[in-house]
Amino acid sequence: MAKTRENFFGIRHLTVKYHSGNSIIHAVNDVSLELKEGETLGLVGETGAGKTTIAKSILRILPESSVESVEGDIWFEGKQILDMNDKELQALRGKSISMIFQDPMTALNPVKTVVSQIAEGYKQHHNCSKAEANKRAIEMLEMVGIGADRAEEYPHQFSGGMKQRVVIALALACSPKLLLADEPTTALDVTIQAQVLDLIRDLRNKLGTAMILITHDLGVVAEVCDKVAVIYAGRIIEQGTLEDIYDHPTHPYTCGLFGALPDMEKDVERLSPIEGLPPDPSVVREHCDFFERCPYACGKCKKFNNHMIEMTPDHLVRCWKANEGV
Amino acid sequence: MATLLETQNLKKYFKSGAGMVHAVDDITFKIEEGETVGLVGESGCGKSTLGRTLIHLNESTDGKILFQGKDVTNLNKRDIKQFRKDVQMIFQDPYSSLDPRQTVSDIIMEPLKLDGSFSKEEIKNRTRELMDIVGIEKRLRMSYPHELDGGRRQRVGIARALALNPKFIVCDEPVSALDVSIQAQILNLLMDLQRDLGLTYLFITHDMSVVKHISNQICVMYLGQMVEMCDRKELFAYPLHPYTKALLSAIPTTDIHNRKERIILKGEIKSPINPGPGCRFASRCPYADDSCKQGVKSCEVRPGHFVVCNKAKEINQL
Amino acid sequence: MADELKNKDSKHHGHGHHGGHGKKGKRHHRIDASIKPGSAKYVWASISHNRGAVLGMIFLALIIILSLVSPLICRYSYSTTDFAAMKSWPSFDHLFGTDDLGRDILSRVLYGARYTLIIGLLSTVLSAILGIIMGAVAGYFGGVIDSCLMRFLDLFQAFPSLVLAMAFCAVFGTGVDKCILALGITGIPGFARLMRANILRIRNMEYIEAATTINCPTWKIIAQHIVPNAISPIIVEIAMSVSRNGLASSSLSFLGLGVQEPKPEWGQMLAATRNYIRDFPYMVIIPGIFIVLTVLSFNLLGDAFRDALDPNFKD
Repeated sequence: MAKTRENFFGIRHLTVKYHSGNSIIHAVNDVSLELKEGETLGLVGETGAGKTTIAKSILRILPESSVESVEGDIWFEGKQILDMNDKELQALRGKSISMIFQDPMTALNPVKTVVSQIAEGYKQHHNCSKAEANKRAIEMLEMVGIGADRAEEYPHQFSGGMKQRVVIALALACSPKLLLADEPTTALDVTIQAQVLDLIRDLRNKLGTAMILITHDLGVVAEVCDKVAVIYAGRIIEQGTLEDIYDHPTHPYTCGLFGALPDMEKDVERLSPIEGLPPDPSVVREHCDFFERCPYACGKCKKFNNHMIEMTPDHLVRCWKANEGV
Repeated sequence: MATLLETQNLKKYFKSGAGMVHAVDDITFKIEEGETVGLVGESGCGKSTLGRTLIHLNESTDGKILFQGKDVTNLNKRDIKQFRKDVQMIFQDPYSSLDPRQTVSDIIMEPLKLDGSFSKEEIKNRTRELMDIVGIEKRLRMSYPHELDGGRRQRVGIARALALNPKFIVCDEPVSALDVSIQAQILNLLMDLQRDLGLTYLFITHDMSVVKHISNQICVMYLGQMVEMCDRKELFAYPLHPYTKALLSAIPTTDIHNRKERIILKGEIKSPINPGPGCRFASRCPYADDSCKQGVKSCEVRPGHFVVCNKAKEINQL
Repeated sequence: MADELKNKDSKHHGHGHHGGHGKKGKRHHRIDASIKPGSAKYVWASISHNRGAVLGMIFLALIIILSLVSPLICRYSYSTTDFAAMKSWPSFDHLFGTDDLGRDILSRVLYGARYTLIIGLLSTVLSAILGIIMGAVAGYFGGVIDSCLMRFLDLFQAFPSLVLAMAFCAVFGTGVDKCILALGITGIPGFARLMRANILRIRNMEYIEAATTINCPTWKIIAQHIVPNAISPIIVEIAMSVSRNGLASSSLSFLGLGVQEPKPEWGQMLAATRNYIRDFPYMVIIPGIFIVLTVLSFNLLGDAFRDALDPNFKD
């Protein structure tokens, strides 16, 4: 445990509950993650699996009105994020950790030029002159491939892909150590997505920023990530290196996801969907979340309190059958 | 196999503040009976407009549409009613394609009721049968759309489209709003229905892996124009148009060992408002020169493989 | 607690394979999850859980009933002048006291409620009907019809509505009917704009296109698919408009342009006794309290309707 605290970034036993009407939504259940400097982690899961809630917990930007409780620990460079006061949080957000959202339009102010938006954030954290901040902003824009001649334009004058570049420039202006990217390319077309992924990969290599990439797209994860965590019903059900997950997917849900994907390389007559639906998040389960949909489930699964099982030190699977070679 | 639907130089322009939007420009293609034609392209390329124009949800600006050999470009009210029994549509957004105030059975019954040629008993039986065909549990009969998940909602939409035994269905991004595991269920259902009921699909999507899975023929659109059209296998094995190549290379794959060479496009996308003559992809094309801006022609480069590019032969060394 | 959790758990397993939790899984926790949002039943369930709205409804019901039966239960007629008891403070004889002409304020307030409510309701009905029709036509057909109708309504909106209503009354005369007409007409643009905006939103929904593909005739699309889905915000606006127009009728009467003596409209009662506010404040305060409570009740109801009908308030 103590080792985690020394690590660059870590989450331990994070549990987030929302309240909705008279019921409690268990959005994130006992999630633990670790990240070393410069590493990229892909957080994969379907709608409602709790991916975005994790990201928002890290920045402490969960909607207060609907949050019931946030438990667990989140460490960043030895400090507990969940214990920080407003001032410390201000310094953390944007400067040390920043976030890219799915819809670039929500992150940009429509009535300000892009250069002034980037400069503003930089000035806030660096106590420098306006000219200096502007210079930095233009540098950032050039780094993401937007010429200085377009710096004085407004967000609506940019196309979707260009807007997302501006958002990336904004997020990276203060050289954060950790970048949270929540479905950064989902709203973009494939050719534009390729450009943006290319950019993200380049910048990460150049700046050494650690990153958590949240997506539902296994292809995107394969493009940029070193490590992968698959999340289902608010719980991580499998995590490991990119090779662990893509070459040796072990949890039945992970295998199911790969089977449901139309393959670009091979011709498959029929897809193998995962039957059924994710479980009701307002119900507390004591056994495996995937039980109802799992093709390998048996009576024993109901009794087992499913813990993470180590396949290799890095590759963890939340399925007791994993070791029995299913 | 007979040709079910055919267009000749079909055009659909919209008026906008800044000028004419050439949403569908000069499109000629064929759909064979019992086949699936995949229509791919990026957002705003006019693929949805083309699908809607084919089934008279939009009136075409110019050109011809032939359905079972008959000209259906201009139809009067009665003919449109008849025509719509043969052609149907499955919509993208299962959240907005169902009236929130109707129950599942109301929605499925509506086309049968409106048709006016069925008795109450027949309507009831047919509704039950349709729910069975698309795999909606009977207990959900009286549920409202907001109580269903996305996959089930899409099944309801499919049942409504099937109610009057159509021959041709335009599927407008029917799985892009769904999660991967649910997406596979719906794709399997659509393929089963095609096999069992002999349906013909125009499958509109931006997802290349989906289109590869479900189509026989594939058409690639770019800014209102068809740029490449051929058999599915041919397209993925020998993409000839520079845009198709970039599109295919841009798809992220889950194969982490054989990484493809990416073609990263540069340049800005041309506006579809009064685009003028010439190739619309020229602004982003790595091979474009001045001649591309004068005009482009479609040519059959390989048997059954049509490309709209002046330099197709040169680029591909054919 | 642990038992309860287990109980929920086992219930869940019973149908876990079939999914559809949205409906069944939540039924144990939320009583109204099985009721269709937007249905009359749902609206009623939601409103009856809203304390403010219930209080408002009770007050309004009380006022309406008392107003109707006031000639039967009140000891004095609203118009009887009693010169022996002029300006008498509230007492057992006159619970709310008497005004400067010795008329019983309780009788006048209760009887007067009907004017405020009738003017508020009927003027709202008038503006809602005309506004909904004009808005629906403008929204559905668009183009030139839309532009003409909306520019015409802009003319009305260029003036403050009370000033416009005053102008109407000044031209057509005073009285309950003129008051209804004046307030009704000035309320049209609000309803028309709201309806038009809703129609425009719903017209672009895919289920409208879907209805076209299954040969649903245009009138049926409007009547069965568009209007029912566009009407929710209108209901909210109706509740708000009744309160606004009730208040406006009091304002007009206060200015001498609405209900005339000796009919006891609340605003007019304020106007008639405003000279005595220093020495006999009850004459002004009592009708004032009734105006405030009535307006408040309608506003609370309107808020409750908005919460009950707005899909954003759920989940």
